[in-house]
Amino acid sequence: MSPFILATLLFALGLGTMITFASSHWLLAWMGLEINTLAILPLMAQHHHPRAIEATTKYFIAQATAAAMLLFASATNAWLTGQWDIQLMTHPLPVTLITLALALKMGLAPMHSWLPEVIQGVDFTTGLVLSTWQKLAPFVLLLQLQPTNSTLLLALGTASTLVGGWGGLNQTQLRKILAYSSIAHLGWMTIVLQFSPSLALLTLIVYFTMTFSAFLMFKLNNSTNLNSLAISWTKAPVATALAPLVLLSLGGLPPLTGFMSKWLILQELTKQDLMPLATLLALSALLSLYFYLRLAYSLTLTVSPNTLIGTTPWRHPTSHLTLLLSTSTVATVFLLPITPAIVTLFSLLGT
Amino acid sequence: MLKILLPTLMLIPTAWLVPGKWLWPTTLLHSLIIALISLTWLTNLSEVGWSSLGSYLATDALSTPLLVLTCWLLPLMLLASQNHTASEPINRQRMYVTLLTSLQFFLILAFGATEVIMFYVMFEATLIPTLILITRWGNQAERLNAGTYFLFYTLAGSLPLLVALLLLQNNAGSLSLLTLAYSPPMQLTTYGDKLWWAACLLAFLVKMPLYGVHLWLPKAHVEAPVAGSMILAAVLLKLGGYGMMRMLTILEPLTKELSYPFIIFALWGVLMTGSICLRQTDLKSLIAYSSVSHMGLVVGGILIQTPWGFSGALILMIAHGLTSSALFCLANTNYERTHSRTMVLARGLQMVLPLMTAWWFIASLANLALPPLPNLMGELMIIVSLFNWSWWTLALTGAGTLITAGYSLYMFLMTQRGQLPTHITALEPSHSREHLLMALHLLPLILLVLKPELIWGWTA
Amino acid sequence: MSFFMSLLLLGLVLGLIVVASNPSPYFAALGLVVAAGVGCGILVWHGGSFLCFILFLIYLGGMLVVFAYCAALAADSHWESLGSQSVAATMLVYGVSVGVLAGGFYGGWYESSWLTVEEFHELAVHRGDAAGVALMYMPGGKMLMIAAWTLLLTLFVVMELVRGKNRGALRSI
Repeated sequence: MSPFILATLLFALGLGTMITFASSHWLLAWMGLEINTLAILPLMAQHHHPRAIEATTKYFIAQATAAAMLLFASATNAWLTGQWDIQLMTHPLPVTLITLALALKMGLAPMHSWLPEVIQGVDFTTGLVLSTWQKLAPFVLLLQLQPTNSTLLLALGTASTLVGGWGGLNQTQLRKILAYSSIAHLGWMTIVLQFSPSLALLTLIVYFTMTFSAFLMFKLNNSTNLNSLAISWTKAPVATALAPLVLLSLGGLPPLTGFMSKWLILQELTKQDLMPLATLLALSALLSLYFYLRLAYSLTLTVSPNTLIGTTPWRHPTSHLTLLLSTSTVATVFLLPITPAIVTLFSLLGT
Repeated sequence: MLKILLPTLMLIPTAWLVPGKWLWPTTLLHSLIIALISLTWLTNLSEVGWSSLGSYLATDALSTPLLVLTCWLLPLMLLASQNHTASEPINRQRMYVTLLTSLQFFLILAFGATEVIMFYVMFEATLIPTLILITRWGNQAERLNAGTYFLFYTLAGSLPLLVALLLLQNNAGSLSLLTLAYSPPMQLTTYGDKLWWAACLLAFLVKMPLYGVHLWLPKAHVEAPVAGSMILAAVLLKLGGYGMMRMLTILEPLTKELSYPFIIFALWGVLMTGSICLRQTDLKSLIAYSSVSHMGLVVGGILIQTPWGFSGALILMIAHGLTSSALFCLANTNYERTHSRTMVLARGLQMVLPLMTAWWFIASLANLALPPLPNLMGELMIIVSLFNWSWWTLALTGAGTLITAGYSLYMFLMTQRGQLPTHITALEPSHSREHLLMALHLLPLILLVLKPELIWGWTA
Repeated sequence: MSFFMSLLLLGLVLGLIVVASNPSPYFAALGLVVAAGVGCGILVWHGGSFLCFILFLIYLGGMLVVFAYCAALAADSHWESLGSQSVAATMLVYGVSVGVLAGGFYGGWYESSWLTVEEFHELAVHRGDAAGVALMYMPGGKMLMIAAWTLLLTLFVVMELVRGKNRGALRSI
């Protein structure tokens, strides 16, 4: 892809999300979402490969459906209440519809089934954009919506954590596993969204950091399924040694960064007297943990026999830029001790 | 506290910067110095309350013995692992030392924590180094299975504990161990409160492990390398007992009725796992089941909630920590020579390794609780306090003691006595490193006979 | 008036069901035309006659494209007319579910959905829908600029997606 085209598309990608951030009017927010979707399509299809085209088509259809539903719901809202403001919506029907539309856009269960298919079809960089940047705009809309109908969000969130855990158990393709991990993490955010928006935002950022490391790690190793992970220590020994920590951090094991968001969310849920839900959520994290653990097993914890062929990649100096990976890995592993600072920062942002 | 923590942390750069030739001697010396400094904590025991009190860390009579045991175990683990890591590249050896050091770091933070939630985080934090120790450094392919069992049993027990602790924090306003004991007794009447009680203890019961949720332990022990087995048997299981003793002060009103099934289950487990030991063919598995059996007694002693029960449990935990760690080291010396854990294949070792037999003898006697040793003190105190609660427990504890003696004898006879099989006549003689290792295990145990008040806990 | 409105709404639903039930492109195009036309009729009935003329013009352009597309796909070996089994079954399912949903919302939505824009047009100075257009050009001018940029972007994206002879997205795979 020519750099000019790439620059235009990336600009539009950023612009769409920014318009959505900045808008208080549903029509403008919808427009931002559409710009965003349009801009990512050529990026997804840039490898002229049937699987990529299929993924692009699926993504387009899912996003267009969600956007149409959003537009319909906000028009209904305008009809019913006479205003287009995002905040302080009063009628429950458009709020429910918009929540569902945004859930479809982000890929929350039970509207999740497009996400693994789409991410499996694109390369790691685009997959990373899809599972981080593309979640931002719908998520911020959901934050601004301040939904009061708690049952719907709780149901969406619980279903997502369970589906994200169960769905990933059966996968051997790394990108699908990461997609299911994304579904599960979004479920946690959705659950806490109505109780503490700043906490939801914190969880989102922590998830971005962790998934950033995971995507970059797999991109560095150039491996897309479980089997090809076994020789990654010959390509990047240090990254491979740290990989289990990154994966277990995604799984939310203390003392890694991923535990921070789970801890705070569980605390918030116990404050709201939702103990059974908190226990269910905590135990559903075990499902996800199982497939992260399996990744860690095949990546680092079992060493393949040292054949001559296996050790040869080690001799080629890697030309990848690993600064981003190393920074995000450190953030993924070591942030738990400064939890109070991070929480304060986000609660300041929230006010 | 930082006097110990910072040197422990600095072990990591030491392991990476020291020349490869000096890796093991330097780290061993360093960790031994840490262990010796940690002995100074024992001088504070005459005071009743907390000492070495910082803003987050402190020691008291309950945690000090366990802290010292933790610090003592690191040099022993380094000593024990030198042989089987010798064939690895130097960077992996450094990684291995880093792993063991991080484990000790988390354990010190866990035992020293004054906040329950910090104890919880560190309790969980020990999972990752242990998991890597088992699955990365174990030998057989089943180690992956063992690692999964280990992680998921523990987490399934401890995630409800997290929710329960957060709930407690909401109700009591604080989770500080310094003040929690003085908080007004809670009104716990509903069905949900009973569940909360169970959630508070379940994590520790799984970690101990209680009979019925113990299946992860033999697997983990059998598959782990020697350092993994040592730290698992000596310290990690004791996290469970320590946690239970800390939590029970808060759970007071409900424990009286709700603990009955758990006590019975623990005592029944003593019998059952003892019987399993009697017909075990795998040496490490035998020692592992013997750990479960001893820990069952500890659970009984803790749940009975008398001062004698607590003291006995703490004494037995420390004594068992040293004994079972010594037994695992002995099993490893056999394993490194015969490359098999099956006892039938390595009989009559008295003929080839006579001095080792002496260590086997002492360790087996310690395991079956020979009179002056602290093992007996602990068992006796627990049995007496259980007997005081109900006469009928004597049937279980007495039979348990008998069976313990039986399988200890069985283990000793199977490995040391009898005819030497012809396939192992040319064994490597034992190294002085191994003798040092055994001496460092068993000397403290014997010396504790002279001054048991160090490990008496709160009654001191 | 209420009867005629109901008829139009029924036509709209029917048209959409025809499109959604996956028949051959000819029938789908027919359904689309019906839905579009009836939709404009509904707008007229609500009083937005100016808006509906604009919309109908746009629809006419769209229909041209749809028919061209349809003619290109006409060589269909599996002919699925409206009466064929699978299409009829799907139509039935959609029809019943729309009926059930509408029944569920009958009480709540009924009142507010019959408002017309020009309810008090005897008292008004200008037409409501035309005022809306003026409103869009005046305070919403910036939004129009973004909309124009979006259209440009759409064109650009479509060209980027389909360019290249056999490397584009729309090649025969």
